[in-house]
Amino acid sequence: MKRFYRSRICLKFMVMLALGWPALLQAQQFQQQPQEEKELSPVSRTYAITNATVFQGPGRKLDRATVVMKDGLITAVGKGVAIPPEAIIIKGDSLYIYAGFIDGLSRAGVSKPKEEANRERPKDPGNPTPELAGITPQNDVRTFLNPSDKSADDLRALGFTAAQVVPYGNMLPGSGAIIQLTGKTSDAMVLAGKSALFSELTGAPRVYPSTILAVMSKWRELYRQAVQNKNYETMYAANRAGLSRPASDRILEAFYPVIDKRIPVLFEADKYLETQRVMTLQSELGFSLVLGDVKEGWDAIARIKSSGAKVFLSLDLPEDKKEEKSKDKKEEAGTLTPAEKEALEKRKAEFLALYTGQAATFQKAGVTFGFSSLSAKTSDIRTNLRRMIKAGLTEDQALAALTTSPAQLLGLSDRLGTVDNGKIASLVLSDKPYFHEKARVRYVFVDGIMYKYDVKETPKADAGAKAEITGTWSVTTETPQGKSEETVTFKKDGSNYSGSITGGRLAQAVSLEKVELNGNALRYSYTVQVGGQSFKVDVDATVDGSSYKGSATVGQYGSFPVEGKKDPNR
Amino acid sequence: MIRTIKYIAGLLLLLVCVMDLGAQSPKGKYGTFALTNASIETVTKGVISNGTVIIRNGKIEAVGTNIQVPQGAEVIDCKGSWIYPGMIDSGTRLGLFEFGQAPQATDVSELGDVVPQMKALTAINPNSAAIPINRISGVTTTLTLPEGDLFSGTAALVSLHGYTPDQMFEGFEAVLLNFPRTGRRGPFDRRSDEDIKKATEKSLLRISEVWERAVQYHRIDSATKGKGTYYPEMQAMLPVVRGEMALIIDVNAARDIQTALKWIKEKKIKKVILSGVAEGWRVADEIAKANIPVLAGPVLELPTRDYDRYDKAYANPGLLRKAGVKVAIKTDDGHLNYRNLPYHAGFAAAYGMGREEALKAITIVPAEIFGVADKLGSIEQGKSATLFVCNGDPFEPKTQVSQVFIDGWQMPMVSRQTLLYDEFLQRDPGVAKEK
Amino acid sequence: MKKILLIICIAVLAQQLSAQVERGNMLIKGGTVLTVTKGTLEGTDVLVTNGKIAQVGKNLTAPAGYKVIDAQGMFVMPGIIDAHSHAGLDAINEGTSPVTAEVNTGDALNPFQVNLYRALGGGVTTIHAMHGSANAIGGQCETIKLRFGVKDPELLRMEGAPRTIKFALGENPTRVHGGGGIVPRTRMGVEFVIRQAFSQAKEYMAAWDTYNKQKIQKGFRGAPPAYNMRLETLADVLRGNIIVHCHSYRADELQMMLKVCKDFGVKRIVFQHVNEGFKVAPELAAYGAMASVFSDWWAYKLEVYYSTAYNAAILTKNGVTTSINSDDAELMRHLYHEAAKTQKYGDLNDDEALSLITINPARQLGIEDRVGSIETGKEADIAIFSKHPLSIYAIPMITVVDGIVRFDRSKDPDDMRIFVDPRQSVETTTLRETRNAHEQCMEGADYMFVKMFGLNLNEQ
Repeated sequence: MKRFYRSRICLKFMVMLALGWPALLQAQQFQQQPQEEKELSPVSRTYAITNATVFQGPGRKLDRATVVMKDGLITAVGKGVAIPPEAIIIKGDSLYIYAGFIDGLSRAGVSKPKEEANRERPKDPGNPTPELAGITPQNDVRTFLNPSDKSADDLRALGFTAAQVVPYGNMLPGSGAIIQLTGKTSDAMVLAGKSALFSELTGAPRVYPSTILAVMSKWRELYRQAVQNKNYETMYAANRAGLSRPASDRILEAFYPVIDKRIPVLFEADKYLETQRVMTLQSELGFSLVLGDVKEGWDAIARIKSSGAKVFLSLDLPEDKKEEKSKDKKEEAGTLTPAEKEALEKRKAEFLALYTGQAATFQKAGVTFGFSSLSAKTSDIRTNLRRMIKAGLTEDQALAALTTSPAQLLGLSDRLGTVDNGKIASLVLSDKPYFHEKARVRYVFVDGIMYKYDVKETPKADAGAKAEITGTWSVTTETPQGKSEETVTFKKDGSNYSGSITGGRLAQAVSLEKVELNGNALRYSYTVQVGGQSFKVDVDATVDGSSYKGSATVGQYGSFPVEGKKDPNR
Repeated sequence: MIRTIKYIAGLLLLLVCVMDLGAQSPKGKYGTFALTNASIETVTKGVISNGTVIIRNGKIEAVGTNIQVPQGAEVIDCKGSWIYPGMIDSGTRLGLFEFGQAPQATDVSELGDVVPQMKALTAINPNSAAIPINRISGVTTTLTLPEGDLFSGTAALVSLHGYTPDQMFEGFEAVLLNFPRTGRRGPFDRRSDEDIKKATEKSLLRISEVWERAVQYHRIDSATKGKGTYYPEMQAMLPVVRGEMALIIDVNAARDIQTALKWIKEKKIKKVILSGVAEGWRVADEIAKANIPVLAGPVLELPTRDYDRYDKAYANPGLLRKAGVKVAIKTDDGHLNYRNLPYHAGFAAAYGMGREEALKAITIVPAEIFGVADKLGSIEQGKSATLFVCNGDPFEPKTQVSQVFIDGWQMPMVSRQTLLYDEFLQRDPGVAKEK
Repeated sequence: MKKILLIICIAVLAQQLSAQVERGNMLIKGGTVLTVTKGTLEGTDVLVTNGKIAQVGKNLTAPAGYKVIDAQGMFVMPGIIDAHSHAGLDAINEGTSPVTAEVNTGDALNPFQVNLYRALGGGVTTIHAMHGSANAIGGQCETIKLRFGVKDPELLRMEGAPRTIKFALGENPTRVHGGGGIVPRTRMGVEFVIRQAFSQAKEYMAAWDTYNKQKIQKGFRGAPPAYNMRLETLADVLRGNIIVHCHSYRADELQMMLKVCKDFGVKRIVFQHVNEGFKVAPELAAYGAMASVFSDWWAYKLEVYYSTAYNAAILTKNGVTTSINSDDAELMRHLYHEAAKTQKYGDLNDDEALSLITINPARQLGIEDRVGSIETGKEADIAIFSKHPLSIYAIPMITVVDGIVRFDRSKDPDDMRIFVDPRQSVETTTLRETRNAHEQCMEGADYMFVKMFGLNLNEQ
């Protein structure tokens, strides 16, 4: 059963169960895949976007300009450029064009490997197989790429067109690659293979190395053994006579390009102490270092600078929960004196500000950085970018961190990062300046392939509006497998709302964990138990009279459109 | 196979300790004693200098200056020494727990979340090695509690002398309720706030249900004059519902204390004692207002929240007392070191409670809370001769206890630990053995 | 090999450069100075310059810019040293293998733990942040100074302190590993595991010695022995470069370990916990082995059932260098009180009692030339108490590390966190299950017991 939980299919399965669509699931399992519309081929691979506002790069803006792309490359940018006759023309009068964004560390498009069938405690936990130990540096993320993985679609919809991706695993999952978020086959996605040796300071469950203690020492040992082996191989290669044959060791060999500094080690180093520990390893062993998904780096900047490490800051930020708190003030105020509570909230706010201000702090310190989406919820990324900007990062700096800086850090500046003649045709087009709260991405071009985003007009969230939700609602959730219908009931108790959800296919009603109505912004969540695991569903919607529209997010597994209609009879 | 071996090993182990327990300590001595020339800390009536305590028939026959020593009394000259009432530890597992990590050596926790009928007094082992070890430090009386989930059993107040549980019993029992808690059990407890809340709510419903049933059972029992169905859990709850027995509620997080106070009020529970109250200082006024006594401790503990002032656990008893709460101090020690009771009190004293109140918190106050103040808790005429003699302030670690009396019995001042000291201070043979 | 050494050297150098320890200047005026090694000096001043004790004497004057602390009526003692702690660590046990000599708690330092500050509130200035006792040969340990307030974990290290390593005998390693079907399951197995590891290390050392000798001969070509960090570390133990701190309880296993040490030439050994040390005190003294004990803990399992609180006194009076340790974040806060208990259990005098938590643990960690007493030239790690520290009424008022005030009872705010998780609810309460106390030593290895008796014993 455990193996089943871990697999990719299983996750989708759970998500669907969590949302209450077991029947649909069965349909998928026992019948053929649902009929898919065959995608029509574009009539041309040449595009011209006319009369648009083009941000060629940070601080380089062109008004009413045209961008021409042909066969996957940008062939002209500027005012009054000639439009080739075969071009598909997109009127860009109200569009803003940017270079496609680059994600410095991600798992978009990477499938999770199936777990071993037998996850019982091994007979000798001190000597596990390298796979159990999480030591598989010889693995290559390209093996695990899946062009139809939804995570790539989600990231692309935000404007990302390229990403450095890494395999799943623990201490040494394998080497990463830089991919474009398009392509029919895994190889077609790859821009550069073996971009870095990826590592996490994560122990293996119940076998050696299980803690940070052993992960750190195992790292040193492997590296030093690799140095030793490599030296011997060199000696052996120079003159083999009289020397015993060096044993082949794929694990150690995976370190050779690192030792030669042909590739860096890319660490997931989200916590401050991990950042420090990783730099300790680097200072001892001397490899080139990339710090990925850094979340708490503000106190380590001096050391980061002197280490020469490259940095990708996390796009994940702690939630700003203030609104929630004020709601149940009466209940919460209980055991803390108001002064104490205020002081504690203030300290929390100070630290929250450090997180949101991290990018600006790095910027001020003169550290070039890109971003990493590794642990960020896709639906939070744009909000988080705006929060960083609010905390002191300028829009140009944010744009640089999404485009030119990662291009530079990943060695892609000649191909990606700006809207310039000769670069790969990867662009993002939004209907307002990208960092504007109401901006929507309308087109994304990846490697000259167009992805168009239809915009459904959703009613505006308006804190001033007074919506009323008490009553019973019929709710439709749209999933890739079809529609699902549930019934949601809201009750009002004083100023607080509560409620429950039940669906035709849900075994029993589940009570909603929190219901919040702020003006006409509605939020509720509930947890569904499936096979002993719980899945939290967060619904975020905007109420317009007797209907609401929004999305249901199930953890990291994705989000789906939701529509509710008030039942007038009840 | 492995399991069999383990069990055999366990049985052997049990045998070993039973054998050892058999060879415990010399006997106590009963008789008439005159403790003369002592400074007497009566606790309730101040300090008597150069005084005498007469012990006869298990009781304090006389206390004061100018007291005639009865004929035939054994005179113990206490010049330079102090007499204190025996110390009462209000939270222990004495007698139920011989040593840890061996199920065979512990009778602390019975199966089931509602088992008030499980009586500590049944399983208290009068021959536990821990009894003399703690007794010779002047801890004469302990409340022994069965642990577990929700209603985990009936606690008993025992003296640290006697060959049967009945001989040890000091006349107080109470049902223990471990109140549903929202606090985390430690850093390893990684449940979400939501999960904790849910689990707590569920448990709250459960205890309310138990209480309501107990009330129903009481009504039926009264109406049928005790001829209701056999229902041992409810039978055990009867005296609590009727207010004849106290309910000890173990509760620590401030919010849980508030919930418990509300629950007590709502259920109109007549006799209640709170126990633990680690965050009692946060809601001290509310506890005082509810007029419920507390058994606070352990005092030697870490603060419950990482932003709390570092000494909050030490200061807790004092802060509660200051708010007007009746405070007894307990050790709840995990290593059977109830002998450290004066040190828990000492820390409370140093961190704000003051020596006088801290002393009361391990003598007369618990005696009052447990309804045994007519016998225990102070040096007064007519009370049980449960007291000790020492050469200074018993809160000070360097102070030595020279005599301990329990119910008039003079205790031998030896324990396994002192015997080992006697044997090994100068081991013979040393490194070289003559053969 | 040379290259590896070079890398290590560069790394160490780089670390020292990156870490700048803050050191202060101060004059502590008019206190009763308990030097521990040189008697008690009333109304005496202690002058601290650049983190070191510059002068101890009467009527000293503070040069300009020196902080002045009025200690009149107070007691000034050397900062307390805890020879057995697990505070300040993110991980304690790598409990997956009976031998894990290569791991090092220095890799898991966490300067944000509030427990470090709370320990300062008990006058503690240096702790031995140890690996746990799940394995017969556990990991190397880090001696750290409680410079609470620093964020760089490197700055916690007591730079230059000797290397130490944790060994463990008896119930813990036999339960963790034997319970899962790996030797050792018995005390016989524990001895075997240690002897085997030492023997392998000896072979490893010999192989490298041979290789290094051959290598310098002209025209030599050949493979070096495979680099192995575990054996490297154990070889350093055999070379005498690492002090062994051996978790142990029973007299028989102490004797066993003494024999093993003798056979392999290991001279520096400190027995930890060592509840039955009193039974073999003459043997320990004869070997020069030291002992670090609890004041009165017992009964938390069978191997500590036959304990006595007189252990420290018996050991001390038999000439064994003895310390009192905590192994617990709460106990650590009142080691002065734990030391005072030896006056009840064994009549130790004040200096003997204070030595148990100052100069003696310093000796056990090999740092007695730097800390552990108030003497000119030593590092200014100082605890100032309101009353004599062996009194129950004593309250630590100010704690100084390297001449910097790291704890000040009258000035510090309540909330001393240096890291606040904005995700954490402000109402989170954590209650320890103290009555189910077991050694913190076993933290992180608990899950190993699930297989024993089919139940988790720690939930008893």
